[in-house]
Amino acid sequence: MNEPDPNAFSLDINDPEDAELIEYFLGELPERVSAINSAVTDEDIKELGRIAHQLKGAAPGFGFPAIGSAAAQLEGSIKELDESFADMKAVQAEVESLLSLCQSYITPK
Amino acid sequence: MPDVNLTQLDTTPVVLLIDDSQFVHRLLDARLRSESISLIGEHDGKVGLERAIEEGPALILLDLDMPVMDGFETLRALKDEPRTRDIPVIVLSGMNSSQDKVAAFDLGAVDFVTKPFELTELRARVRSSLKMSALLQMLSQKAQIDGLSGLFNRTYFDERLKGEYDRAIRHGHPMSIAMIDLDHFKSINDTYGHPAGDAVIAGVAQVILHELRSSDIACRYGGEEFVLIMPETNPEQAYNLCQRIRERCETITWARHPTRSVTLSAGVVGADDGSSINCTPSAWVEMADRNLYSAKQAGRNTVKASHINGSAVQITQSKAG
Repeated sequence: MNEPDPNAFSLDINDPEDAELIEYFLGELPERVSAINSAVTDEDIKELGRIAHQLKGAAPGFGFPAIGSAAAQLEGSIKELDESFADMKAVQAEVESLLSLCQSYITPK
Repeated sequence: MPDVNLTQLDTTPVVLLIDDSQFVHRLLDARLRSESISLIGEHDGKVGLERAIEEGPALILLDLDMPVMDGFETLRALKDEPRTRDIPVIVLSGMNSSQDKVAAFDLGAVDFVTKPFELTELRARVRSSLKMSALLQMLSQKAQIDGLSGLFNRTYFDERLKGEYDRAIRHGHPMSIAMIDLDHFKSINDTYGHPAGDAVIAGVAQVILHELRSSDIACRYGGEEFVLIMPETNPEQAYNLCQRIRERCETITWARHPTRSVTLSAGVVGADDGSSINCTPSAWVEMADRNLYSAKQAGRNTVKASHINGSAVQITQSKAG
């Protein structure tokens, strides 16, 4: 698979159009985080995969390629799971790293 | 001949985005803002298909990976439906697999863009698909265009009137039509020759196109007769529009006969609310014709208008001269 050029997705906070997109994405993040948490609680691996897939495709365009990569890793791991034995624990590490990354943008250190 | 064919195509193309992710809608909405397009969106394949039938967009951007009705299924449905079959589709996908690309092209997609989008590439692909779409549209319109005037021909008018009439009824929107006839046209042909008559037909067509808005449809009905379809226009507005055409026509100085001006008469008929119409499209044409006849009886160089139910039109002078 071709890795996208990370520089192609760098946004400029001083550009009004870019700023609008960054702001929108940051505004949506808390909702995605709680959606991920709910999917984990409900053990809904399919829903978790859907959220990861959307974040993978969208985050880089909003200037958050790191979230995109973490989401891609989670999606990849979910795809490797045998659906009948789908166990949240198997993707726990990927979920945690995606969540902590998202959290770091929600409450900047 | 002046190149007026493109004038009727010169509207902002509508691009329909079908993607379940609100992120993608938001992103493309911002990133395609600089393009001269009007972006509309739907979040699932089924509704997207209905919207495509309703709006007839110039281009569809279609996400492959959607719940309910996925992109492949939607693409198949779009290509099965006669009203959407010829609309180019660019497939968007987060899965960069050649298998998906081949499948999408086999189903009739014109292009494939991988998420996350590389913006300059996406814009270039949208532009190139729109260009192709406009050329295809122009080609099919050529068959519907009158060679001398550059306006739509009679066949197109008959088809389009039916469509606009149905639409006005369905949505309860206003609509008007106008029949326009040049006064004493035969004497121009007889006195100055047929090339002079042809120049008048082409010149008046230019005046009409200049006064019309992009949503209006101008056709050459035959000989020296023109017909206009004006969706979303009540008879008062249509009357004012025809008055402007009439006034402008009168002031033209013709190269082949500078001392002989040309005037026209028009008959307008319309409805304020399409849902109240209870007659056929051909009754509209007859009624417009009748108003045209009374304009001629009133001494020519005149516009007569009425509501489709027969009531008179309240004339308010348009502000612009």
